[in-house]
Amino acid sequence: MTAAATWHRRTPLAVTWRRYTPFAAASLQGLLQYRSTFVINAVTATTAVGLQVFLWRAVYAGRTGGLPGGYDLPELTTYVLLAQMLALLQASRVDEEVAGEVQRGDIAVSLLRPVSYPLARFAAGLPVSLVNAGTVAVPVVLLYALLLPLSAPSWAGGLLFALSAGLSLVIGFGVNLLVGLAGFVTTNIWGVRIVKDSVVAFFAGQVVPLALMPGPLAAVAHLLPFQALVDGPLRLLLGHYRGPAEAAGILAGQAGWAVGLTALAALAWRGAVRRVEVLGG
Amino acid sequence: MSAFTTAARYTRLTWYLSAVSLHRLTEYRMDFALGAGGLLLRVGGQLAVVGMVFRQVPVIAGWNFHQVLFLLGFSLLPRGLDRLFTDQLWILARRLVQSGEFYRYLIRPVHPLYALLSERFLYPDGFGELVTGVAITWYAADQLDLGPSAGRLLLVPLLVLCGALILASIKTAFAALSFWTTNSFPALYAANQLGDFAGYPLDLYHPSLRWLLTWLLPYAFTAYAPASYLLFGATDLLRWLPVVTAALAALALLVWHRGVDRYEMTGS
Repeated sequence: MTAAATWHRRTPLAVTWRRYTPFAAASLQGLLQYRSTFVINAVTATTAVGLQVFLWRAVYAGRTGGLPGGYDLPELTTYVLLAQMLALLQASRVDEEVAGEVQRGDIAVSLLRPVSYPLARFAAGLPVSLVNAGTVAVPVVLLYALLLPLSAPSWAGGLLFALSAGLSLVIGFGVNLLVGLAGFVTTNIWGVRIVKDSVVAFFAGQVVPLALMPGPLAAVAHLLPFQALVDGPLRLLLGHYRGPAEAAGILAGQAGWAVGLTALAALAWRGAVRRVEVLGG
Repeated sequence: MSAFTTAARYTRLTWYLSAVSLHRLTEYRMDFALGAGGLLLRVGGQLAVVGMVFRQVPVIAGWNFHQVLFLLGFSLLPRGLDRLFTDQLWILARRLVQSGEFYRYLIRPVHPLYALLSERFLYPDGFGELVTGVAITWYAADQLDLGPSAGRLLLVPLLVLCGALILASIKTAFAALSFWTTNSFPALYAANQLGDFAGYPLDLYHPSLRWLLTWLLPYAFTAYAPASYLLFGATDLLRWLPVVTAALAALALLVWHRGVDRYEMTGS
C-alpha cells in the first residue's frame, strides 16, 4: 500500500520529466552542431570581462580615499568578472527563439504539442546555460584567477551563491520569455531585444555594481527584478550584507521575483495563445 | 571616365533608394519609436557609466570627465553613419545564406554587396546616433574650451567617414563568414560588442587588449585615435588611419568575393 501510494505520488513528476527531456536533448544536439559558437563565446567573454575589469581597476587605482562602494580590489574584480559570467548563463536565447517562432508562424505547431510551452522552452534553455557554464564560464574564471587577485568566497558564501544563481536562472528565463512573447504585439522584436539587453544589464549591476550607483538610481534598481540576476547573487557570494536577515531577504526577494515572473509569463502566454486563435479563426 | 560614371550611377541610386527608405520610416512609426527609444537608453546607459566612474575619481588613465565624454560622443558619429547604410548585413549573417534567399542579390544589375545594402537604407537608429553623437561631442568640446583650427574642423568629416568605413568593413567581413558557416550571427554579434569599448580611453587597458583593439579589430581608429588627435594633438596612431582603412576595406571585399564565389543556390 505504501509502495503504491509512493508510486502514485511520484508518477506526475516522472511523467513530467520524461515529457520534457526530449526538448532538452534536442536543444543540446542543436548546440553541439555549432561548436564554433563556444569558441566565439569564450573569446568574447574573455575580452569583454577584461575590458570591464580594467575600467574598474583604473577607478580603484585613481581613487583618493575610501573603498568604492565598500569593495576592495579583489572583491571588485570578482564582482565584475562573475557579473559577466552570470549574464552569460542567463542568456539562453529564449527570447530570440520564441519571437522567431511567432514571426515564422511555427508557434502553431508548438500549440499542438501536449506540453506546457513555457516549460518546454525552459527545458530547452537549461542545457544552453549548463553548457555555457562548463565550456566558457569555468575556464574564463580560472584564467582570470591565474592573472589577477580574486576574492575567495567562504563556504557559506559559495553555498548561498549557488542557491541564488539557480534562482537567477529562473528569473532570467522569465524575463526572456516575456520579451520573446512581445513578438505577438510588435514586429520589431529586434528593437525590443536591444532595449531589454541594455536596461537589464544596467539595472542588474552587470556594468556598474549597484553599490556604486548614486542613491536614487540604486533605489530604482532595487525595486526592479533585474538586480536579482547579478547583484543579489554576488552580494551573497562576497558577504556584502548585514546579518543573516538581510541575506535571507535577498533570497526571499529572488524567490518572489522567480514566482512572480513565472506567473506573469504564464498569463502572457495564455493571452498570446488567445490572440493566435483569433487571428487564425 | 567609366569609373566616374559608375560612381555617379551608384550615388544617384543611393539618393533615390534613401528617399524610398525615408518614406518607409514614416509608414512604420512604431519601428522608429522603438529604434530611437532603444538608442537613447543605450547611450543613456553609457553616459551613466561614465558619470558613475567620475563620481569615484576625477581623472581616469589621464582623461578627465569631459574628455571621456568627447570620446564617447565622437564614437557615435562613425557608428551612426555606418548604421544608416549597412545594417542589412545583420540579416545576411543571420538568415540569408541559411534560407537560400541570397541568390536574389546575384541577379540584379548592381554589385551584389550594394544590392544587399540598398534593400534598406537609413535605419532610424542611425539618425539618432548621429544627432546624439553631435550633441554630446559639441557639449564636451564647449566645456573643454576646445577652439579647433579650421584645418582640424575640416578634417572631422573625413575622420568620421574613415571610421564608418572601418566599421562597415568589419561588419562585412564577419557577415560574409556566413557563406562558409551559413550563420555568422554569433561571430558578428561578438565583434560588434567589442566595438562598444571604442567609446572608452584605450589607455585604461592591458597592452594586449589595446593591441587587439588597434590592430586585430581596429576599433581604436574609429574613435580613440581621432579623439586623441582632436583633444591632445596626438598623431602617432592617426597616421595609420588611411592605411588601416584601405587595408581593411580591401580585406572585407576579398572575404566577401571569396564567400560569394562559394555560395551555392539551394535549388528549391
